[in-house]
Amino acid sequence: METPEKSTTEEGNDLGSSPGGSIWSQLGFDRFSALYVLVAFFIFFGITEESFLMWNGSLEFVLTDKIVVLMLALAFLVPLTTEAFDLSIGAIAALALLIVNKIALETDLPQGLGALIAIGACLVIGWVNGFIVVKLRVNSFIATLGMSQVVAAIIRNIHDGGQINGELSKTYRSFGKGDIFAFDWPGTGSEIALPWYFLYGLIITFIVYYILEHTPTGRHMFATGGNPEAARLSGINTDRLTWGSLVGSAALAGFAGLVYSWKVGIYTTSFGAPLLFPAVAAVFFGASQLRGRPNVWGTVIAVYTLAFGIKGIGLRYPREISWIQPMFEGLTLLIAVAIASRQLIIKVQKRKLSKEDPDSSESENISDSA
Amino acid sequence: MGSLLKIHELTKIFPGQVALDGVDLEIETGSTHALVGQNGSGKSTLIKVLCGFHQPTGESSASYYPQSIMNTPSLDEPIELRLGDGKAAANAGIRFVHQDLGLVDSFNAIENISMGVGYTKRFGGAIDWRADRKRAEEGLATLGFPDIDVNIPVGLLAPSQKTAVAIARALHDWDKGASLLVLDEPTASLPGADVERLFTAVRRLQEKGVAILYVSHHLDEVFEIADTATILRDGKRIATLPINELDHDKMIELMIGHTLIKRQQASRELTGSEKGLIIQGLTGGTLAGINLHVEPGEIVGVAGIMGSGREMLVPLITGQTPSDQGAVAVDGMQIQNYSPKSAINAGMAFLSADRYSQGVIAIQSVRNNLTLSDVKRNWSSFKLDHKAEKVEADQWIEKLDVKTPTSETPIGSLSGGNQQKVLFGRSLRLEPSVLVLDEPTRGIDVGAKEEIHQLVDQASKDNAAVLVASTDTDELIRLSHRVVVMVNGRISEELKGDQMTVENIERAQLQSQEQKMKAGTHGNA
Repeated sequence: METPEKSTTEEGNDLGSSPGGSIWSQLGFDRFSALYVLVAFFIFFGITEESFLMWNGSLEFVLTDKIVVLMLALAFLVPLTTEAFDLSIGAIAALALLIVNKIALETDLPQGLGALIAIGACLVIGWVNGFIVVKLRVNSFIATLGMSQVVAAIIRNIHDGGQINGELSKTYRSFGKGDIFAFDWPGTGSEIALPWYFLYGLIITFIVYYILEHTPTGRHMFATGGNPEAARLSGINTDRLTWGSLVGSAALAGFAGLVYSWKVGIYTTSFGAPLLFPAVAAVFFGASQLRGRPNVWGTVIAVYTLAFGIKGIGLRYPREISWIQPMFEGLTLLIAVAIASRQLIIKVQKRKLSKEDPDSSESENISDSA
Repeated sequence: MGSLLKIHELTKIFPGQVALDGVDLEIETGSTHALVGQNGSGKSTLIKVLCGFHQPTGESSASYYPQSIMNTPSLDEPIELRLGDGKAAANAGIRFVHQDLGLVDSFNAIENISMGVGYTKRFGGAIDWRADRKRAEEGLATLGFPDIDVNIPVGLLAPSQKTAVAIARALHDWDKGASLLVLDEPTASLPGADVERLFTAVRRLQEKGVAILYVSHHLDEVFEIADTATILRDGKRIATLPINELDHDKMIELMIGHTLIKRQQASRELTGSEKGLIIQGLTGGTLAGINLHVEPGEIVGVAGIMGSGREMLVPLITGQTPSDQGAVAVDGMQIQNYSPKSAINAGMAFLSADRYSQGVIAIQSVRNNLTLSDVKRNWSSFKLDHKAEKVEADQWIEKLDVKTPTSETPIGSLSGGNQQKVLFGRSLRLEPSVLVLDEPTRGIDVGAKEEIHQLVDQASKDNAAVLVASTDTDELIRLSHRVVVMVNGRISEELKGDQMTVENIERAQLQSQEQKMKAGTHGNA
C-alpha cells in the first residue's frame, strides 16, 4: 500500500517543525514571524520617524532598557519548561532592588555585598516556592501567586510607599554601567557604547539556552513539562528539577533587580510586579517562534520585537503611548497564544483523524506485516 | 426475528484511500452483531458514517424497519435511512457509545446522563434534579448497576460503572424506540473482571429486545457475547457468519487474510543462577508478600484477575508506587532508596501499563522519547550531540521497525503499536539485566502484537530476566517460560510447559476468587 505511507509522511511534516512545501513555510513565516514583524517595524518607523534608527534616539535605549524584561522573561521561561508557572518573579525582582538600596542607605556594608545578600534573599524565596509546589503539592500558579503577595507584603514591611534612593556608589554602579564595545557610529559622530550589564544579560541568556537545549538537564526539564509521570518513570528526578527551576527562576528575577539597580539605581513602587506582564507576554509570544514551544531565542526575539514596536509607536504617537503600550502587549499575548492553540488544535485533530481513519500509520503497519 | 437495519453497498473514499468498499451489513432485531477487523479494516469508518461523522461516498443506501420494543408488531415496510446524517440515525433509534465514553469526570452520574438527554425543567427553567435523579437511577438499575452511587463524580467510579453510565445516557429513551445500540470498543479500558459486568448489562438489553452492534479487538469477547459476526478487511466485507460457525483461528485468518503462525516459547530449565531479578517479601497495596526469582534469559508471566495484586506488582517493582516492605535485587545487588531512578540505575528497565499517561511524551519527537532514560549517552565535549543522537535514533527506528516519517516526528502522531515499539527502544537501549513489562500489547492489534512479542523474545535471548504481567492469557502463554498466578496478593500457583494452557490459567485465577469468597464467609462466621 503506497498511499498510506505517503500520507503519513505528509502528516509528519505538518506536525514536525521541518518546513513543508508552501512558499509561506519556506520563507519561515511560521517559525520566524516575529523577525518579519521586527523588520517591518524597522522599515516603517525608520522611514517615518527620524530618530528611530539613531543610536541615542532609540537603539541604545531599547537594547539596554529591555535587559530587565529579558531577564524576567527567562525567569518565567525556566520553570515553564517543567510546566510550572512562576508569577512571583516581578515581586522578587522588586525585593532585590529594594534590599540593595536599603542596605546602601542604612548600613556600612559594601554595596556589592548588599547585592549578594539581595540575591541570597531571592534564592530563599525561590526555595520556598519549590517547597510549596513540590512538597506540599500546591499548583504552581496558586503557590507563586500567593508568594508574590507575601513578597509584596515583605516589601511594604521593609519600606512603605514611595521611592527609596540608596545613593548607590559609583563603584557599585560601574559593575554594570561601565561601557563596553565603545566606538563611533559611522557618519553621525555619536558614540556607541553598551553597558556591562548588557553583556551579562547576553551571557546569562546564552547559559540558559545552553542548559535548556544542549544538556541532558534541559531535555529532562522539557520531558517533565511534557509528561511528568512518564519522565519520572524514565528515571528523571522530576521533583528536583521543578524545585531547582523555581530557585533558578528566583535567581534570574533577582538579577533583573540588580540590573535595574545598576541602570537606574532608585527603588520605586512601579518597579517589579508591573514587569511580570511583558515578561509573560514575551515568553508566550516567543513560544510561537522557532520551535513551537517555549524557547530562549524565541523569547529574545519576542522581547525586542515588542520593545521596538512600542518604541516606534511611542515616537509616532507620543501622547497615546501610555495606553497603547499595554494594549499592544496584551493583544500580542492573546494573538500569540490563540495562534499557538489553533496550531495545537489542528495537530490534535489531525492525530485523531489519522488514528481513526483508515489511512493511519496503523493500517500501514498491518498491510506490511500481512 | 426480522431485519432491523440493512446497509447496502456502503462506500467511503478518503483522499488516496478506499476505507469502505461496497460493504453490506444487515442487523437482525434483538441480535448481538459483532463487527471485527484489524485497525484500518474500516470498522471505525463504518461506525462514523452511521453516526453521521463522515459522509458516505457515492451510491450507498440503507433502510430500517421501524419498531417499538413495547410489544407492537414491526412494520413490514422499510424506511429509507440517510447515511451520514446523525439526526436521521437518532430518529431511526440508533444509539452510540463511543470508546472514550464522553463523560465529564467531575460530574456525577445524574449530571452526565442529563447532559446528553437534556435536563428536566421545572417551572421557571430550574432543573428538576429529583426527576433527573429518578431517571438516572432507573436507567442504571435496568442495566444491572443499581449499586452505582449517582451522587459522586463519575471519575471515582469503576471503569465498568462509567461504561454503564454512558450506556444509560445513550439509552435514556430506549422504551420510546431505541432499537440498536452501537458499542465501539467498550472494553478497551476495562479490566478483566469488569468486562463480565458489562456483558451482563448487554444481555439484559438484549432481553429487552435491543439489538447491539459490538465493535471490538478482543475476539474472546466476540465469541462470548455475539451471535453473528461480520468480518472486515481492507474496507471490504469478508464474511458475515453465525458465531457458532466460527472459531478463534478461523476468525483471525479471515481478519488478516492468512493463517497466523503460532509461536511458543521453547521449554527452558532453571539454571540455579543467583542473578536476574529477585523479589523478596514485596508488600504494598494489594500485594501481600511476593517472593519471585526470574533468572537471566528467562521470561516469567504474571497472571491474575483485577484485585489479585497483579496490577500492583509492576508499579511496586519499578518504584512507581512506594512499597511497604520487602526487597528487590538486580543481579544480586539489592536496590536501595527505591525509586524509578534507582531501579534503572540498578540495571532494570520497564514499561508501564498505561502507555499514554505513563509512557510517551506525546508532543515530543520520537528521538527525544527514545533517548529519555539515558540522554547523557550522547553528551560529548560539554554539549549534547544532537547529530549523534539522531543517528542513534534512526538506527533504533530501523531495528525496531517503527513506522514513522522521521525521528523528529512527535510520537503522539504515531499509532499505538509504533509508540510502544519506541518505548521498547527506550528500555532496550539501556541494555537492562531485568526487563519488567506491564500489559505490553494492550490496545495494539494482532500484527504489531507479534512484532512486540518478538522483541521480548530477543531481550530474553540477550540474557535479560523478563517479567511480563498481563491480562491477556494468550499473550502469557505465547511469551512465558513459566507463568505465576496471583491470588489475594500472593503467588498461588506456578505453571510450566504443558501446564500453561488458557484453561489452567483461567481456572487458577478464578480459584482464587472462590478461595477469597470462602475466606470471606469463614471470616464472617
